[in-house]
This record gives sequence, structure tokens and C-alpha cells, in this order.
Amino acid sequence: MLIKPNLIKLLIAIGVLLIVPHIASLPTSFILIAFTLLVWRALTLWIPKTLPNKWLLLPLAIGLGFFVLKTYGMSLGRDASSSLLILLMGLKLLESRTARDAQAVIYMSFFILITPFLFEQQITIALYALFIFYLLLLALVINNTQSESLINPPLLRLSGFVLLQSLPLMLIFFVLFPRMVGPLWAMPDEQSAISGISNTINPGSVSNLALSDETAFRVRFNSPAPPQKDLYWRGPVFWETNGQSWTLTPPKQDSFKQATPLAEKKSDIHYTLMMEPHHQFWLYALDIPASAPKTARLTHDHQLVLANKLSRNISFDIRSTTQEVITKLSDNDLKRALKVPDNIDPRTFALANSWVKTSPDKSAIVKRALLFFNNEFYYTLKPPSLGKNPVAKFLFETKRGFCGHFATSFATLMRIAGIPTRLIGGYQGGVYNKVGDFYNIRQADAHVWTEVWLADKGWLRVDPTAAIAPNRIEHSIDPSLQRINSDINFLLNPPEGIHEWIQQIKWGINSFDYYWQNAVLAYGPEKQLNFLSGFGILDWVDMVKWLAILSVLTLIIFLSVILIRQNQTHDPVQKAYLAFCKKYAKKFGVHLPHETATDYFNRAIKNYPEKTEQLKTLKTLYLNTRYGKAAEQVFIQGVKHFKL
Amino acid sequence: MPLALSARLSLKRFTKGEAAQHTAIKLNHRRIFVLPNKAGLTLAIIILLMLVASINYNNSMGFVFTFLLAAAAQASAFYCFKNLSGLVVSLTKTPNYYAGSTGYINLDIKETGERQRWAIHAAHLNQLKTFDIAKDLLLSIKIPIKLKHRGWYTPSTITLSTSFPFGLFRAWSPLLFKQPILVYPQAIDMGLPLNFQLFSKEQNKLQSQQLGTDDFAGLKPYQQGHNYRHINWKAFAAEKGLFSNEFNAEQSASIWLDWQSCQPLALEEKISQLCFWVLQCESQGLEYGLRLPNIELAPSHGAAHQHACLKKLALFEPI
Repeated sequence: MLIKPNLIKLLIAIGVLLIVPHIASLPTSFILIAFTLLVWRALTLWIPKTLPNKWLLLPLAIGLGFFVLKTYGMSLGRDASSSLLILLMGLKLLESRTARDAQAVIYMSFFILITPFLFEQQITIALYALFIFYLLLLALVINNTQSESLINPPLLRLSGFVLLQSLPLMLIFFVLFPRMVGPLWAMPDEQSAISGISNTINPGSVSNLALSDETAFRVRFNSPAPPQKDLYWRGPVFWETNGQSWTLTPPKQDSFKQATPLAEKKSDIHYTLMMEPHHQFWLYALDIPASAPKTARLTHDHQLVLANKLSRNISFDIRSTTQEVITKLSDNDLKRALKVPDNIDPRTFALANSWVKTSPDKSAIVKRALLFFNNEFYYTLKPPSLGKNPVAKFLFETKRGFCGHFATSFATLMRIAGIPTRLIGGYQGGVYNKVGDFYNIRQADAHVWTEVWLADKGWLRVDPTAAIAPNRIEHSIDPSLQRINSDINFLLNPPEGIHEWIQQIKWGINSFDYYWQNAVLAYGPEKQLNFLSGFGILDWVDMVKWLAILSVLTLIIFLSVILIRQNQTHDPVQKAYLAFCKKYAKKFGVHLPHETATDYFNRAIKNYPEKTEQLKTLKTLYLNTRYGKAAEQVFIQGVKHFKL
Repeated sequence: MPLALSARLSLKRFTKGEAAQHTAIKLNHRRIFVLPNKAGLTLAIIILLMLVASINYNNSMGFVFTFLLAAAAQASAFYCFKNLSGLVVSLTKTPNYYAGSTGYINLDIKETGERQRWAIHAAHLNQLKTFDIAKDLLLSIKIPIKLKHRGWYTPSTITLSTSFPFGLFRAWSPLLFKQPILVYPQAIDMGLPLNFQLFSKEQNKLQSQQLGTDDFAGLKPYQQGHNYRHINWKAFAAEKGLFSNEFNAEQSASIWLDWQSCQPLALEEKISQLCFWVLQCESQGLEYGLRLPNIELAPSHGAAHQHACLKKLALFEPI
């Protein structure tokens, strides 16, 4: 059976729709080649001569295969397989001549349908994919019927019905299919765009984030939320610097051993944190995390570290405390926290030493330094570029900077002054979503601050940015109002009028997204166990058992609906007549297919002449219900009363 | 009619169908079988691959669409079944064919409700017909059959099948009908002269003339089945209506088509020759009788007589 021209058009359209979500994530060359293949196939519809034969297609396929191999190497990861699949789909479509080829193209399209989700799983993409899924079902139907036209209402309806009918079973499987922890095989390290704080901090790195409205994570408090200025979301802790940037060293085993989780009653804040995949090992937690959630570990410098890079949405239940926690400082840590890089400018040394000389104690030095920043510095999103010695240039020449500048230079000064200091990366603040009752922490809230160690107080948070721009800590930055080289805008006043409406809608969408992430995307092994244990389903054996029971039950319901609806006979007269024929089949002989009702009754009369009158009446009644205007009930009653 | 357990489990029921029936057969769940076909199994592999990818990346939306596809494929099995179930299939009378020609099985397919059916295949031996029933309540399907031998031709299993809607499952229903088709012998002129001497070519003309003039007995109103050679065209031209010339039966010579006169031929050749003569005599409007060993049909003419003769010839078995 040859492929239908209209089906080719549909498949080309589906192909285009399938490639579109990949435009941002795959190399442009692959996207262009894939589109070219589809355009080529479209061209063959008008000019059949341009349809390539296999001697052209085979080298082309091999060539494109090598191209993918050359780009990605031998590893068949997410990017490589997505690229390969969209090219193969185009090639297969070019080669398609029969209905069987079309079936293969449709199957490939189903696979390609899930590849965009390996990059992003937003609800918009999901709805988009659902639409393509419907089109693919339609393509299957068109390919397996004689319908030449795509717009065939019964078939359009049927595809929709099948889609609706498959939802319950899909949901049962989604909820109950046992999820596994960890990948089945080691995946090549994909170059995902790392968003948010990275593992090196240099003075300017955070300011790039201030323009991004993207969500970093969301938090819902299960206990009263702390005030906005205390919302310090602690991420990686930086100890090492080379004078230009601060780099994260992965925590050692000792660090996990020395960690001191707090008892539950000492941790006063409970919350659920819904992380977006940021492809890093660390987790963010409200300063200071009291203990680690199930899948993470706590370090002695209060970082939460995951076993694997976070590549999907996961929610964590975390406890934190805002009370001060006094920790000891080991000799090793003291050394690390005091290490001053070699290439420090003499002016920096001089400044720090002047504070040491004029201050009675270490906390006075800290205050002195904050005062210094408060007096002479200016908070801006686009600071002038700093050269090889960023700290000195910032402190003595440009004096304009963002939180990264203040924190790094402050930490360097403190270390010179002999105060153990470390740098903390994370987020500060967040926007409260009234509709969904959660805080939305955006990339724009990225922040860097420091911690100094004072003998009597332990590690103490010092945020130099707060000294310069208290607004930054009290209110969140408004990325939509930022202009390059201008003052920073904060979300100060609640919006009014139409803006309030816009904000409400934004909150609504954001809340919906939150539920989507929390309920659907984060539904992994941990969440599944958590959710199902509420129903008494505790391990995968139970899951499989319930999966089997519920899916069989669903199938039985569908099947019985079909069988019940099929057995409904519509015509009472015909029903009675057939019952009559069946009842007397042995006496009158079986009603033959070519026999008319008249033939049949005449035959019956011949066999049973003594019943002639009654049979004749029945015959007339029957014929009259069929062709005349006799009451149906009379015939039905007549049949009932007939006896031999 | 309930089935015994052995009949229920016999493999024949799945391939050849239940015991032959001479009434209409309604397709119900007992007669329809559904299994995934090759394309369905291929899709199963694709679904498995999608599942592995989803597990590997622990991707929720991957799971959603993998399960959605699996559920849709599963649901299509119901639609596949529904596409066949409830149809009432019967064989209808066919005209009688001659051996060596191509005949047709007339299959009547009746949709008792008003459902639409799509892409149903009716297969008999190697012949396949595909049809939709879109609101037609009764559809007649003609499946060609090669008729090689005279006698009763019993249609073998007629299989109705469908892969609707997605081509993943095949629902099929094998049906056997107990409605044999009578196949007349092949009419071949083996070149033998008829024993009735009048029947050489020139004399035939003479004979006709004699019959036409001398034995004319009158007119009778034309009825279907009358030989068109006997129509009284003069009367028709005079707009008196259609009349047939009636000949005096007793006066017209009757011909005996005799088995004995075909002695030099082999059995099947004899039958073919006799068959040819029957057809020839009938078309000439002659009266003819048939003599076979142990069988004798008195001379007569007309469609019913021709059928009786041909039937005897078709079913003739030498002792």
C-alpha cells in the first residue's frame, strides 16, 4: 500500500513541530539539516522527480551519522541521540514510499516526542507535546484506513477519544510504576547551561544574574516565615582564593564527619524547598541548615551536598535555625580561613593594617570595615571592569560594584587583618507569591556574603552589601526594571491598578508552575515512596501488585462498557421475530439467509397446516410492522401467545 | 449455540473458524480474536526504549508520554475489536458458474446498528477485499474465486479482519459457511456430431425454417425467459406489444443428448460436450432431453430445464 500524499504533509508538519523545541538546545547545523530534509520531502510532493533513490540516501545517511559521531564522540547521550533521531526521521521520511514506511516514521516521532523533556519539562512544552501526540495518533489512523483526507471528522474524533481513554491508565502507571534511583548506565556529562551560582566566584560573576527572572528554587514554609532580611539562602562555602577569584573545593570526608546536625527542637524553621535542576552538587538552605534531608549530607561548614549533580526537579524537606550556632574552628580551618593570596596590592595591606592598629578588638575591625564601605562606595549593577588585581582596583579606584565586589574585597581585607573569613554563595530574599503561598527565589536574588570567625561568637554572618545598600536586603531586585548603567530598582511599593492585576496573573501562573513542578516533575523515587506510603504501599512489590490490580480493573471497565453497548438491540419487532425463528428452528427449520419472512411463514404453514390461521396472522402482522402501519406491540404479543 | 470445551480450545477455531453454518453469522466476542501484529510488536519495542530512556534520566514527562502511548496502543485493541463486532455476515445466492471461469462469492455484510466501520478486509484463500461501511446498512462484497471443477464448490474459510485504528492489533474472525455453490461443467465443443441427424449445420437451417412455418401454432404474450428468436417482431413493429411465436410442441422434433453418442471421449470431455449441446439447444430454442447412465431427463426446454440438465451433468459421478 502506498503512502498517502496527505499523510506525508501531516508527517512533515509533525516533523517541523518536533524539531522546534530543540532549536535552542541542539547545534544549529543539525537543526538546519533536519529542516532541509523535511523541506526536501515537501518538495517531492510537487516535483516527484526530486525523490532520492537509495544510492543517494545511503551515503547521505552514513555521512550524517559520521557528522553526529564527530560532533559528540562515541557516547550516545541526550544531545547526541536527539540530534541523531531528528536527522533519522528526516531521512526515513525521504525514503518513505509505502504505508509501512510511514508507520516507522510515526514510531520514530513518538520517540522524538520525549527528547525535549530531557532538556526542559515546562508545562507549556508538555501541552505542546500533547498536541503533537494527538496529531501522531491521527497520522496512525490515517495510515491504517482508506481515508485520503486528513480532515475526516469521525477519525479526528476517534483519535481524541483514544487519547482521552488512555489518560486513566497513564495516570495509574505514572503514580504506581516503581521509580528507580540513579541512572541505568553512566550518562555522558551533558553541557547543560549551568544557571545560578557557579563554583567560582569573582567580583563580577553575580551581577550577570541580576537581570534574570528565572526561578532558582521555591520555598514553602511550614512554620512562620522569617522576615525578608533574614532570608539568606546558603549555598556553597568558599575558602580558597587566588586574589582574583574564589574557588570551591569539594568537601572532604572529614567535613561530613565533623558536621553537627541540630536536634529537631532547636531548629525552629521547617520548609519544603523545590529545587530547579541547576546541575551542581550543592543544595540551598535557609541559613543555617540544622540537618540534612534524606538525600543530602551536611558538612561542617553548613553546606548541603548531594551525591549526584541535580539534573531534575526534586523537593526537599529541610529544617533550619536562625539562632546563632557556635562552632569550633579547627587548626586546619583556621589556616584556610586566614590564607592571604600572594599578589595582594600594598595599599590593601596598608588599609587593613591601619584598622588593626586603631581598633581595640576584632569585632571593632569588622565594624570599621563596614563603615568604610558605607561611606565611600556605590552599589551598581554594571561596575567598571577590574584588571589583574581586582580587589585593590575596586577598593581604591573604581569604588563601584555589586555584592560580589563587596564580599570578595571585604573577605580579603578581613583575612589580612587576621580575622578568619570565608565567602558564602547563595541567594538573598525572594518574592512571596500570595496565590500559591510560597517564596519564589529567582536568579536575580543571587547573592554573595561573608562569614567571619570571632572567638566569642563563632562564625558570624557579615554582609557588606547590606552596609552599602540596605534596600537590597530589605527588598528584592526587580529585574524587569533594570537598565544598564543606571540605578538598581527594587520591588518597593506594591503595584496598583492594572499592574496589580498583572502581578496577580503572574503569581497565578507561577503558582501553577509550582504545583506542576512539585507534583509532576518532582515525582521521583523519594516522592513516590512518600506519597504511596500514605496509602499503605511501602515497596515496589506493593506497587507492582496495585499496578496490576488497578490496570486490570480499568481494562475490565472499558471492556464491559463496550460489550454492554454492543448487545443493546434496537428494534423490538426484529428482536421478537428473531426470537420466534430461533425458538421454532427445530420444527420449521432454520431461517435461511435468502428467505424472506413470507417464504419462512409459508414454509411453516406447510409443515404445520393445522396452525395456518395463526401463522398467517403473524405473517401479516410482521409484514405490516415492516412495511405498513401496524402496532409493534400486537406482533410482539402475537409471537408470545403462539404455541405449537 | 454454546461450544463444548474441546471445541472452544481447539486451534482450528482460531484459524479455520467454527463449524460451518448456513445462516447468517453475527460477529461476537466468541468469534473475534485479537492479537498484536508485527507493527504492534515493533511499537512495543519502541515503548520499551522510551521507558528505558525515561528511567535513565528519571524524567517525569518522559514517563507520562511513554505511558500515554502504551495506554493508547492498548485502547486501540478495543477499537479494533469494536470495528468487527456486531456485524452480521451471510452468503447470498450466486448465479451458477461454469467450471474454468472465475466466479464470485457474494458476501453480505450488515451493520445492524448505525456504527461506522473502517478498513475491514474480507479474505478468501488468496483474495482480499478491503471495505469501509460508512452508514450503509448492508454491503455486498464480491470475492472472486477460481472455479476449476464441476460439482459443488464449498467456500473455504472467509476471514474478516481489521487492523483499525492504529495498525497495532489485528482482530480477525474466521467464518465457515455451509452454502455450496453449484458449478456447471465447462462447455466445450469436442467436435462430435449430434446423433440427431438434423443437427448438422445446413440442415439446421432447414429445420428452423420448417419449424418456423409449418409448426406455427399461434401467438402468446412474451414472458421473460422466452427465446428471443421466437419474438414476433411484426407484431411488435405494429405496436401490438411483445408476443412470442408458439410452436406446436408435438410437432417440433425433440433431440436426445445422449451419453452414448460421446463414446469416443473421456469422461470429463463427454460431460463438457453434453454441456455444450445443452446450451446450444437451449439457445436455439429446441427441445432436448438428456440421457446419462441411470439418468434420463425428458425433452423440454426453458431455463429450469437447462438448469436441471446442467445440474445433473455437474454432479454426475460414473459408477
